[in-house]
This record gives sequence, structure tokens and C-alpha cells, in this order.
Amino acid sequence: MTSPVLSPTTGEPASVIFRRDRLGLIFLVVADFSGTMALIISYVYLWSLNVNNGWAPNQQTFGNNDLLKSRSPLPWAADWPFWAILALTLVATIVLWMGIRSMRSGHRGGLVAAAALSTIILIAAIALQWWQITTFPFGPGNGAYASAVFLLTASVLAHLLLAGFLVLAVTNRTRAGLISSDKPFQARLVGYWMVWVCVSILLGAIVTTFMKDSPNTTPANFGEFSLYNPDAPTPSPSASPSPAQ
Amino acid sequence: MADTMVPAEEPEAPTNRPPAMHRLREWLQRRYVRHILIITVVVGFLLLPLAWLMLAAMNQSGGPASSIMEDIQQTIFVFTLVSIPITAFVFAVLLYSLFGWKGKSGDVPPNNDNPAIRTNAVAVITWTVSSSLLAAFLVVWGLIELADITADSYGSTSATGQPKTEDALVVNVTGQQWVWTFEYPQYDKVATDILYLPKDRPVLFNVTSVDVIHNFWAVELGIKIDANPGAITQTGVTPNKEGTFNVRCAELCGLHHAYMETKIDVMPAETFESFMRESGAGRTR
Amino acid sequence: MSAATIHQVQVPQPKQHGKPGGIMRHLNFFTGLVSGVVLALVFGYVMSLQFPAGALTANFANAAAGPVFWAMMVGWVVGFMGGMGAFVGPIRWLLGRDLTHADAEFMAGKDQGKFRYWRFTTDHKVVGIQYLIVAMIILGFGGLLAMLIRTELGITWMEVFNPDFYNSLVGTHGIAMIIAMIVVVSGPVGNFIVPLMCGARDMAFPRLNALSIWLLVCAVPPLILSLLVGGIRDGWSVYQPLNAQAGPGMIGYQTTIIVFAVSTALASVNIMTTVLTMRAKGMTWSRTPILIYGAFAAAAMGLYAFPFYMYSQILSMTDRLVNTSFFNPIEGGSVWLYQNLFWLLGHPEVYVILIPSIAVMMEIIPVFMRKPLFSYYMAIAGIVGVVGLSGLVWAHHMYMTGWAPQANYPFMLSTEMISIPVGFLVLVVIGTMWRGAFWSRLPMMAVFAVIFNKMIGGVTGVYLSDVPADQYFHGNMFVTAHFHYMLMGAGLFGAMGGIAYYFPKMTGRYLDERTGSIGFWTAFAGFQITFMSMFVAGLQGQPRRVLQFDNMFDISNWISTIGAYVIGIGMLIFLAAIMSSWRSGQAAPSNPWQAQTLDWQTATPVPLENFPVLPVVTKLPYDYGVPDPLAPKKLEEQYDEKVGAPS
Repeated sequence: MTSPVLSPTTGEPASVIFRRDRLGLIFLVVADFSGTMALIISYVYLWSLNVNNGWAPNQQTFGNNDLLKSRSPLPWAADWPFWAILALTLVATIVLWMGIRSMRSGHRGGLVAAAALSTIILIAAIALQWWQITTFPFGPGNGAYASAVFLLTASVLAHLLLAGFLVLAVTNRTRAGLISSDKPFQARLVGYWMVWVCVSILLGAIVTTFMKDSPNTTPANFGEFSLYNPDAPTPSPSASPSPAQ
Repeated sequence: MADTMVPAEEPEAPTNRPPAMHRLREWLQRRYVRHILIITVVVGFLLLPLAWLMLAAMNQSGGPASSIMEDIQQTIFVFTLVSIPITAFVFAVLLYSLFGWKGKSGDVPPNNDNPAIRTNAVAVITWTVSSSLLAAFLVVWGLIELADITADSYGSTSATGQPKTEDALVVNVTGQQWVWTFEYPQYDKVATDILYLPKDRPVLFNVTSVDVIHNFWAVELGIKIDANPGAITQTGVTPNKEGTFNVRCAELCGLHHAYMETKIDVMPAETFESFMRESGAGRTR
Repeated sequence: MSAATIHQVQVPQPKQHGKPGGIMRHLNFFTGLVSGVVLALVFGYVMSLQFPAGALTANFANAAAGPVFWAMMVGWVVGFMGGMGAFVGPIRWLLGRDLTHADAEFMAGKDQGKFRYWRFTTDHKVVGIQYLIVAMIILGFGGLLAMLIRTELGITWMEVFNPDFYNSLVGTHGIAMIIAMIVVVSGPVGNFIVPLMCGARDMAFPRLNALSIWLLVCAVPPLILSLLVGGIRDGWSVYQPLNAQAGPGMIGYQTTIIVFAVSTALASVNIMTTVLTMRAKGMTWSRTPILIYGAFAAAAMGLYAFPFYMYSQILSMTDRLVNTSFFNPIEGGSVWLYQNLFWLLGHPEVYVILIPSIAVMMEIIPVFMRKPLFSYYMAIAGIVGVVGLSGLVWAHHMYMTGWAPQANYPFMLSTEMISIPVGFLVLVVIGTMWRGAFWSRLPMMAVFAVIFNKMIGGVTGVYLSDVPADQYFHGNMFVTAHFHYMLMGAGLFGAMGGIAYYFPKMTGRYLDERTGSIGFWTAFAGFQITFMSMFVAGLQGQPRRVLQFDNMFDISNWISTIGAYVIGIGMLIFLAAIMSSWRSGQAAPSNPWQAQTLDWQTATPVPLENFPVLPVVTKLPYDYGVPDPLAPKKLEEQYDEKVGAPS
């Protein structure tokens, strides 16, 4: 046995640092899981309520959204891009892990190739995600479903960009010999992160695929009341609109 | 040692300890225990008037005008009574620590001969059991009272949201920045900005908002519910006292939130009917 | 390949690029400030080009102002953090230029004098002091706003401020104080004391530590700037859809919260990892000081709670900027969604403030009582119970919203259950006080104040946890008084006691006892006056967040305002005590309180890596006092079996 690899900054064994980093990574994933759950909860909450029949209003544009207008009357996004992005990310993750496994032989060439391939697949996933966001048949202002899908996909995009950065760095660092068979730790940490990214994409894909039509089919209809008019005169009581029962 | 009155007995093996009652009596005879118990009682009696003073403050604007508000006041009264003993005990320990066991100042710790009490099973168990019982009492009381006032509020409605009893009055409450509007669908949809209610008749409120969240708080009637845009919330009450009461907005709703208040006028049922006839049409259903 | 000697071990080093520290030698707070401001202006200008000329002229209440202000905020955050050097680490990692030991020592601020406080310094003691200063600045700002609020409420016969500005004061005061209270104990104590107390050489992730403090610094200017561009006029909770009506100042709030939430989550990860992996040899879970449990518990709650807050603000931001409809009921959004997301943070956050404060009290009491902590396991059970229940009680803030009337029953149950673990903590405190003469110094006297306030806050909390009583108190001044008793009475006064306790370790000097006590007790007296009369106003039926009210509330508000000024005077005296003692106080030895925890066993000032030789722990650090002749011996023996006999 050779002596353990020591961290150049603190002099502790790299495996000790790795265990510490792994724990920190787990906590970061917990925090990120909370954030992802906030988006999932938002999606499911609005899906179940269908407030003002505005979950997925067909052929309808609300408000005066100049930034991103409705492009077509389709209320739902196509399912396949969600799953295609998940599949690409899964493949990237598996390739990366196969590269990490291949380092058991003592050579790091396998990981360089695997990480490079993984980076390319992730770039494809990022491109696909970007394409999906820019070609949704609705703008973010087209009801609650559109909003929730936009935010979920934006979150996926952010996760993929971070994963791409990490895998690219693994490629570069392995090539430079900073990740090798006696210190494969950072590659494994990135591998764990990739697994979590897959899970978070899966959560989004599940809700967007299986929760479309709101269970609340007869929502109270409040019409289009004004949310904000600071210059309006103090309204008189008799003019007040009343919700239809 | 602080308790010089007590002979420092040699601790005995658990098998030949004195019986529990004897040890309790011995404990109660210690000077600091007696003093703390006396202070607890004194502080407790000093705090006792709070129970009535709190209700007096709540009654300043006209007193409870419904059974719901009476229930609320009863809950607050009981909770005050229940929490006085435990508060008084903690305050008594603090007071006795300050003035009985006393502090010493100095640059080095002057008090290295304090007893090293690491734990005490009796104290821990007593405290845990009594605080759990107290919490259980509060929960049970709260659940019963909540069921009670919910029955009072929603008692006039069935699951469909329609008035159950024939004579329940329906009022549609709409909040908007920064006025309240009260609409009486049973009286040709007459709309007013003061809430007119008949005495002793169940009232059902359908509350909503047309802009931001408001909170419909009929202070002396004891009901409070958010007026949400995009949703109708329901509550209800049976006023049992004639007079003028307050509606305030209890949720920050923008610029003139402070001024978003109006009055409630509770009048006899006949007066209410004739008033409605004068201000709008007759009863439509 | 060169090598460096670290703690008597030869460690191979990567190639050293240039002088130690590299580009970090040239980056500091001032470069961050300059690049933040420049980038904010550039981003704002570029965004303003997207709108017709003249769209930004008159005031900030127009369509262009939101996106432009947003772009400026993004520019500020990216520019400031970039100028501080926050992105240097990831880029170096990507390029494969790993830090050498010399680099790491430069980053830790070795031989840089006072200027290390202005850098991206990784040393946990520097970060702790930075947290303390930042928290005190935010507290001062929030306190000033509180004085303005009370002035308005005391002058009952006229409007001093226009209502919009008054609402902004209330909102900004609220959120500034919440942020300050979250960091005022967890920051200095969690970063300065916890690694020392664990017997570690630094936090687990030193660079993450620097990142979290500078993110906090980065979050403050948007909050203050927002007062200039429409303000945060919706209370600290900025409920939707009122939020959507506010001017671009709300974007300042959202930026602050998003950056602050990231900062807190990173700090939480750091504290939790430090506690779990870096405790000294022999410091088993039954020999860990209670403060470490408290800091860990607060970090754990912050970790899962803050992302919800962050996302509630991200969703608000997209609602505002790209017209999504999460909270806009016209288009299928729900106002209750916002409240749920918000309070999923909101209630654990209260305990994030309270638990560290109570844990500091539990460190102080044994030292000044010279008695062991009474029933150490009850204290742990109390903290664990509070953490366990904290995630299940959020909807008690929403009893009166009508979102789910049936849910009030379970939430009332879980909320009232929380009084049991909190009761454990009270028992530990009064049990430790039992039969002991105390050492009458300021930290100990603060304990009396905190327990008094906490009892009142706790008992009034029982009314609010009960749905029927809450039906009267919700949205009422009673609530305001209650949470000030909890957050200020227990949290802030506890923090003041904690500062007095740790002052000798942090600065090498005693906090001036006389001036400090005068300030502390003046503030305490003013506090009682202010918030007792606020309880009365609440009982009479005064709603929260109003600037005008019925004449029946006049007297209680007058008294309350007088009390508030007394608090202000007391706080200024306390601040003067801190500042004068810091500069020229009485010099303190390294262990002035003769405490047994590891933090006091280091030299003062604490050297760069804390411990020349890592300590080994053999017992619980509460071994004070003489064995009690009255206590049954069996318990002592049981205790020793569990914990190890005192050596």
C-alpha cells in the first residue's frame, strides 16, 4: 500500500476530505430537494385548485403580456421532451459512472473519455431543454399550468448547466491528472450530483405528464377583475362587482 | 451550602430509602422549598386579576355580541387561569434565585461550592407529566371549543353552502381597496357599506375580495375570515346583542388599510325587515 | 513537485502560480463594491434600452422600472460577488489550478492585519466577527425604522408619514430585523464559537464560509435601496397579490431574500458538516456541549426551510417580470399557495432564531452557576422535539385564511404539542438555577431577562396557537407583541448576553460591565413598557400595521412609544459599551469565566488554526460544583456510567 493521498491545503487524507465533502453534498441536495419540492408543490396545488378556471385556459391569453405571447391554441406541452431530457441526463450519468468504475484498473484514460462524452450528452440535453422552453405553444402568462411548466423547465435548465460545468471540470481535471485512480473522489462527488439531477428532472417529468386536467372541473368563475388600479377613485359600494355563485 | 437548615444526611442506598411520602414531607420542610412555594402562591394571586383585566380590555368597545365571542372570551379566560400556576412557579424560582440564593460579583467565580445536581428523575418526570397534561388539556379544550364555534359559524349552512335553516340571512361580503360592501341576495341584492344585521337570526357570510387579500373581522361578533381574491370563504354568526359594533380589516391591504373599517348595526328583526323594505325591495325569498 | 510542512507532516504541493493567493491578492470589499455598482449601472442601462426612450423619467411607478431595477440587482449581485473573488475558486477548480498550502494560508488571512476583515477571508474567526458586525449594522438600521414606526403611532392625532412610506417602514423594519436576528446568534456563535467548541481547526468548508458571509453583505444594499424605489410596503411577509401591486422596491426585497436564502443554506451545510465530521476525538454525542446541538438544530431547520422562502420569492419575481400566474388568481394562481410556501419557511425560521439563543443561555448558566447543566438529556430532547415539530406547524399562521378550515384541527394539535419540548428547555434552565448562588455578571443577568421574556412570549403563544382565541388575536397587535417577546425578548436579549459572554474570546477584552448593564437593563425596562402596552392595544382590538386607529387605542400607544424610545436609548448605551470595550476595555485572560468547554481552552486572541495540537475530550464540559450530599447517589452513578466518570 502506498501512503494515503494528502490534501495539499490542510494536510488531511484526501479520503477524509471526501467523506466531509460527500456529507456536505448530501446536505446541499437536501436543500435543493426542498427547492424542487417548492416547484412541485406549486404545480400540484394549482392543478388541484384550478382557480378561476385558469389552470390551463384553452385558446385564451390573459392580461397584457407583451414579453411572451401565446403562440397557438394548444393548452399542453408535448410530453416527449421532458422524458427525452431525462433520458439524455440518465445516459450522461451512466457514462460518467462507467468512467469512474473504469479507473479501478489504475488508468484514467477511461474517465477522460467518459467525462468528455458525458459533457457532450449534457450539452445536447441543455440544447434540447433550451429548444423546449423557446418553442412551448404558450407563453408563461397563459394560465397556471404554463407558469408552472416554465419554472420547472427553467429549474431543469439551471441544474443541467451546473452539471455541465462540473462534468466539464472533471474532464479537464482528469486529463491534467488531478483526478486519478488514487484520488477519484471529486469525480464521484460529481457523479452523486448527477444522480440527484436525474431525480429532480424525473419529478418534474412525472407531474407534467400525469397531472394535466385539473380534478376541479367546476371552479367558481370570478371573471377578469382588476388587480391593480391605484389611480381609480374610491369605489362606491353599489358599483362593487359580486362573484357569481 | 444555601440550605444550612437541613441536616446533610448521608445518602442512603436505594433499598433502604425512607418511604416516598416521608421524603416528600422532608423536602417540603426545606426552607427554600417553602419560600419558593409561598412566592409562587403570592405571584399567582398577583397575576390572577389578569384573567379579568384581559376580558375588560376586550370588552371596552361594546362587549361580546354573539355566542362565538363569548366562547372566545371563555377560552382566553381559562387559558389565563391555567397558565398562571406554571408562570408563577418559574417566576418564583427566578425571584428566589435573585434574592434568596443570591448572586455574588467578582472577577473570579465566587461560588464554586454549589451542589452538582446533574439530574433528578422525580423532577423530570413530574415536569414532563404535568406539562404534557397541561398541553393535553389545552388541546382538548381547544378542539372542543373549535368544534363549538365552527358549529356556530357554519351551523346555518349545509355542505352545499346554502343556508340550512329557512330564515338564515345570507350576506355577500366583498372587500376591495379600501371599502367593505355588504350585499343581501335575499333582499333584491341591496348593497350597503354598513353591515346591518337582525338580532337572533343566523347569518351566513360569503366573503371574497376583488383585488388583494383583506380580512373581514367583525370585532365584537368574534368572527374573522380572510377575503381572498379568487376564492369565497364562508363564516357565520348569530348576533345576540343590539348595538353598534366594528368591522376592521385585519390583513394589510395597501395604502389605506388603516381606514378600512366600518360599523355593524345589529337591530331587532322587525326593524331590519322594515329597514330593508325602505332601502331596497322586499324580501325576495 | 514541492512539498510543505503542515502540522509536522510533509505534504506534496501542486504547482504555485505566482505569489500565494494569486488574483485574490487584488480583490477585496472595495473592488467588489466598485464592480457591483458599475455592473449594476451597465445592466440597468442595457435593460433600459429595451424600452422606448423616456419610459424611465418621472418616477419608478411605470412598466420599465421593474425590469430595469431587476437588471440592476442582477448586476449588483454578480458584480459584487465577482469583484469579491467568489468566482475565482470554481474557475481555478475548472482549470485544474488547485490551491497550495501557501494559497490557503493567504486565503485564511495570515499576516494581513485588520485588512483581512475586508477580504474574502476563509478563517472562521474572521467570518464570525464579520457576521457580528453585519448583524449589528442591520439591527441598527431596523431599530431606527422601529423608532420611526413608533413615532408615527405615538402621534395619534395626525399622519406624520404618508401611508405608503409608513407601510414601507413596517415591511423594511420587519424583514431587516428577521434577517438580523437569524444571523446575530447563528452567525457569530455558529462560525466563531462552534468550530472552537468542536475542537476543530476551521469550518468544514472554509471558502463556503466566506461565500456565505459575503452573500449576506451582498443582500443588504438591495434591501436599503428598495426604500428609495417604492419600498416594501406589504409587511415582512409580502403577501400576494398585494406584493404584485408594489413598486420595483419589491424586487429589492426579492433579491435580498434570494441571496440571503442561498447564504443561509450554505452556512447551514457548513455548520452541519462541521458538527458531524469535525468534532474532537472523544467528543461523543453524549459529551457534546449543548450549544453545538443548538447550532446544529438551527442549521438543520434553516437547510430545509429556506429554499421554500427562496422559491416563493423567485415565483413572485417571475409573476412580476414575465407575467407568470402563480399567485395571480385571475389567471389560475392562488394566494394561498404563496402563504403556504412562505410559512413553510416562516415557522421553522422562528426556531432558527430562538434555539441558538436558548442554547447560548444553556452554556452560560452552568458556567455562572458553577453547577452542571441540569438534565443534559432533557435539553437534547427539547431541542430535538422542537426541530421535529417545527416543520409541522406552519399553517397556524393561516388559521383565519379559510384555505382549509378542516386543517385547523391537526395544526392546532401540533402547535400546542410544541409547548412540551419548549417546556423541557425551561426545566433545564430552572433546574440548573436550583439551589445555586450565581456569579452576578452581565451574561448571567441576561439569562434572567431572557427566561422572564420567554415565559411571557410562550404563554401568549398558547393563546395564539388556539384557533378560537386566535380568531380574536390574528392580525392584531397582540400578535405583534407576542413575537417581539419571542424574537426580541428571548432572541435579541439572549444575543446580547451571548455577546457579553463571548466578548473576551472574540476581542481579548471584557465587555464593560457597568455601561453594558445600564444599557441592557434600560433596554429591558423599555421593552416591557413597549410590548406590555402593545398587548393591551391588541386586547382592545387594534389591528396590526395600521398608522391610524380609534381613539380608544391612544393611551396604550402613547405608553408604547415612550417605551420604544427607552429601548432605543438602552440599545445605544449597550452599543457604546461594545465599541468602547472593543477599543480599550479591560484586558481579559484566555479563560476569564473559567469555563470548561473547548472554546475557552484556546489562547486569546485565537491563533490561525486554533489548536496547535487537536484536543481529546474525555467528559461532558459541565463538571462544576461539589457533589450534592442530598442527591440520591444512584443517579450520580448512573450518570457517570453513561457519560464517563469526571476525571
